[in-house]
Amino acid sequence: MDSVGLDFPIYGMQRSIRRALFHNAAGGFIKKDLQHRYVTVTALSGVTFQLNDGDRLGLIGHNGAGKSSLLKVLAGVYHPTRGQVLVDGKITSLFELALGVDSDDTGYETVVTAGMLLGMTQAEIESKIPEIERFSELGEYLSLPVRTYSMGMTTRLGFSLATVLEPEILLIDEGIGAGDARFTERASKRLHELAKQSAIMVLASHTDDLIRSICNKAALLNSGRIIRIGPVDEILSDYHSEKARLEAQPAAE
Amino acid sequence: MTTASEDLVHGLRRYDLWGRIAFMEIKRRYRRTVIGPFWSTVSLAILIAIMGTVGTGLWKQHPSEYIPFLASGMMVWLMISTMITESCSLFINSQHLFSRIRMDYSILAYALMWRNLLGFFHNLAIYLLVVVIFVPGLFNVSILWIFPGLLVIALNSVWVALLLGTACVRFRDVQQLIITILQISLFVTPVFWPPQLLTGMTKYLFVDFNPLSSFIDVIRAPLLGKSPMLSSYAIILAVTVLGWLATFHLFSRFRKRIAFWV
Repeated sequence: MDSVGLDFPIYGMQRSIRRALFHNAAGGFIKKDLQHRYVTVTALSGVTFQLNDGDRLGLIGHNGAGKSSLLKVLAGVYHPTRGQVLVDGKITSLFELALGVDSDDTGYETVVTAGMLLGMTQAEIESKIPEIERFSELGEYLSLPVRTYSMGMTTRLGFSLATVLEPEILLIDEGIGAGDARFTERASKRLHELAKQSAIMVLASHTDDLIRSICNKAALLNSGRIIRIGPVDEILSDYHSEKARLEAQPAAE
Repeated sequence: MTTASEDLVHGLRRYDLWGRIAFMEIKRRYRRTVIGPFWSTVSLAILIAIMGTVGTGLWKQHPSEYIPFLASGMMVWLMISTMITESCSLFINSQHLFSRIRMDYSILAYALMWRNLLGFFHNLAIYLLVVVIFVPGLFNVSILWIFPGLLVIALNSVWVALLLGTACVRFRDVQQLIITILQISLFVTPVFWPPQLLTGMTKYLFVDFNPLSSFIDVIRAPLLGKSPMLSSYAIILAVTVLGWLATFHLFSRFRKRIAFWV
């Protein structure tokens, strides 16, 4: 990634053709208005780093620091507003684990559609179904519509799908945590296996242990910038001392 | 990062995926109903029964000529207008997909095209059945013209979907505008009324140079045992070329912004 920036235009009430027409008509005169046509939120700015085979990067930072935005830029969901991203390899992104296709579809149908959306062929994903059945332990529920599932069951379905992918570059945003204790343990085990299979992995998480056990590099993000990038332990301790400092003087600013 | 042409080509190659998305949507319409998509056939049948009676009297037509004319015209109209209406919500309704994973936007447009063709085949099956029973003499070899007709409709529905999908995701007013235009178009396009009743300037305006009229003609004519007019294909050719040029230009320019606009 080379000095990547990402600005989100936030359109509110003004998102109408009337405004745009008006601006085109009167653009020369109302310069100030033209520039402030909409509010932009800078989600990322000046993000530069390079990852090579074997790198497992953990993204650390509080809510809104830009972890998810960074992952989505890497995934190609958002095109960066500035800078450029060069990716060599097949990217698989696991953001919201259960890719909600339609809640009326059965578990089986959802898995097939979601698998195809993630780049597999129908035959490939269908050959993985026994593995998904085994891992999700959803049994008969797989033939029922997804809307009948509990939160934990949806997570299990989504995670089972994740486990049969064969990613080269894997991007993960949080995800595990829901589900009962036994499943979380198995999911975490599977995540480690996945990390070994994939050439490069980027993981955003608030769980220190997860980052410590999987990642060999970490990046601390704040307000859309990478504050520091380096060994996991150092970055984590940075993050916690920073957090402690902020908590110690809450009323200062 | 991919370009617009890569998006279109890669998307087209994922026919398994857009085929599946379209198929699942049709399947959902069957779910928990007995006749599923045939409900649109039922409402069409009722409309044709009523409008058929009115129209036969109004325009002094023979029922055996007017009813097939009305039925085939309405079927095509229904497909085209549904394609256009759905194009407006193409990206708005699918943001749960492309805001989570990278996907070629064109896949959604191809899925829209395929889903509506599948829907049309539901109505077509009933139409063919009814005609074979009641007016068996209506069909002849010109029915084969239906295939190039569907092909050009498919070709055009993709650019319409991408163009309107992108425009509506940025300017939500466009959707309302399109719906209004469509409602009026139904009355000024020869769907209810026989085109031969118009003469002079109005005929040029609403029949000869009305692209919607041409798109209807290329499917309706073969369903009535006639060949489509050459002028219909000429107009469609022009619309296809211009539409794709405009769409390609805008799609290349704004494709990267779609994810931000939803």
